[in-house]
Amino acid sequence: MIEFRNVTKQYKDVAAVDRVSIRINKNGIYCLLGRNGAGKTTFMKLIAGHIGASGGEIIVNGKTVSTSRMPECVNFIESGSAQFNMKVSDLIDTAAALQDGFDRDFAREMTERFELKLNKRFKQLSFGMKTMLTTIITLSNNSKVILLDEPTLGFDAIMRDQFNTLLVESYEKNPRIIIVSTHLIDEIAKVTERLIIINNGKILMEAGIEEIDENAYTLTGPTNLVSPLLSSVNCMGTTTIGSVMAAYVYGERLTLPQGVSTERMSLQDFFIRLVGGKGNVK
Amino acid sequence: MLNKSLVVAKTNFRNLKLAYIITAIVLGCMLIQDAVFLILHYSGVYSQWDGTSVSIGNYLFLLPILAAVFIPLLNFRKMMNLGAKRTDFFVGCLVNHLVIAAVISLASIIMFLTYDTFMVSVINTGGTLDVVHWFGWIENGAVIAFFQQFAFLFLLASVLHTLSAAQDKWYGWVADVLIVAIIAVFIPIAPLRAALVWFFNLIIFHPNAFAQIAACLGLGLAVYTLNVLLFARKAI
Repeated sequence: MIEFRNVTKQYKDVAAVDRVSIRINKNGIYCLLGRNGAGKTTFMKLIAGHIGASGGEIIVNGKTVSTSRMPECVNFIESGSAQFNMKVSDLIDTAAALQDGFDRDFAREMTERFELKLNKRFKQLSFGMKTMLTTIITLSNNSKVILLDEPTLGFDAIMRDQFNTLLVESYEKNPRIIIVSTHLIDEIAKVTERLIIINNGKILMEAGIEEIDENAYTLTGPTNLVSPLLSSVNCMGTTTIGSVMAAYVYGERLTLPQGVSTERMSLQDFFIRLVGGKGNVK
Repeated sequence: MLNKSLVVAKTNFRNLKLAYIITAIVLGCMLIQDAVFLILHYSGVYSQWDGTSVSIGNYLFLLPILAAVFIPLLNFRKMMNLGAKRTDFFVGCLVNHLVIAAVISLASIIMFLTYDTFMVSVINTGGTLDVVHWFGWIENGAVIAFFQQFAFLFLLASVLHTLSAAQDKWYGWVADVLIVAIIAVFIPIAPLRAALVWFFNLIIFHPNAFAQIAACLGLGLAVYTLNVLLFARKAI
């Protein structure tokens, strides 16, 4: 469905996307994770055809994407997207009139659930509510690919939880490719199936959440016991406090000597070690 | 597709408040000025004014001009965020410009024939300057003048819409410079000046009203068609 073939996007001397090749074929909720300036928005805008690639080829639904050939099956929305200052109900009705297959019932149900008052004008809504409404409108259409760029920016914890529910319900009703870029990895991990990690314009990893859960772990124990084990594992980094060492490992589980314990590595830690640490996943 | 284009047009009409407000303020100011003149006239303070003034209806031209600038600059991205297709936006805006040109042309001519006539008869002995009068269109009768003015306003809106749509690209700026350069270079050079005169004769002063209407509509549509290319490449 989405294929990048050695795609580069250059901004003067900086490659925002650097020779990326990736194929996203299966429907699912994908989490696009990366630091600020890692290339997440550029990656999404390239898929939507909002910007052109400097090199390589992007194919969506069998057709090459460019700024003059934007794929109609893709819907990209950024946090803080501009909307007409109309009533919430009018915005939904207009979107429904403009799009084939717009799920008006889903949109109305979600606005009720998230307590978006239908008679309030867009500018009267809080920043979080504006984003929520835009996300509801986006998820209510029947595009095969939905790209949400930082949709939870400005959300409090309850709204983030509500957003995750919205995402899941939308996907259950209409399975398709939904790519969500975010920094809040552990929250989105509850609903996402696969993770795409981008750093300095390169895709570092594309894997299932379960796969990462199985393979990413921490070894903790006395330094003299942990240290010898590191030569036989893919160590992403270590922390030593006194005589105790914690090693962040990605790979198959080892048979551990007595005194060394293993713990599941949180996705947040995994991301930090992968992107910010010295090691890398082989 | 036409239904969706009409939804685009309707949404544009609903979201041109800034253009409506500016036009209303300007028109309101001129009406207040005329009301003050009338009060002074009927109270005997002021008898008559022998200067010429711009016809009140011509201030309405602000609306098609502002709409042609605001729609591509302010409404395009919002319409896309609601899931509109670019082709629907293209057709919908065309409907906007045609309707606005027709309504403003009609209102302007009605004001010229009624309000201006009244004001001239009461206080403004110098007469009013109105496009239909100045360009000689009213000599063809009010109905033909309506169509001539409508076609001219549509051409104006098409050019402004297209230029506004291209302002975020280098070729938009090149087009601006070219338009200024053409006028600056063509005027001092006799053969080129003749070409410029021929062009303005065609779109404004042509003795055959139908030729002028056809030229304005044809050129307006041709210029507007460039928006297919402009909006196909426009980032959201």
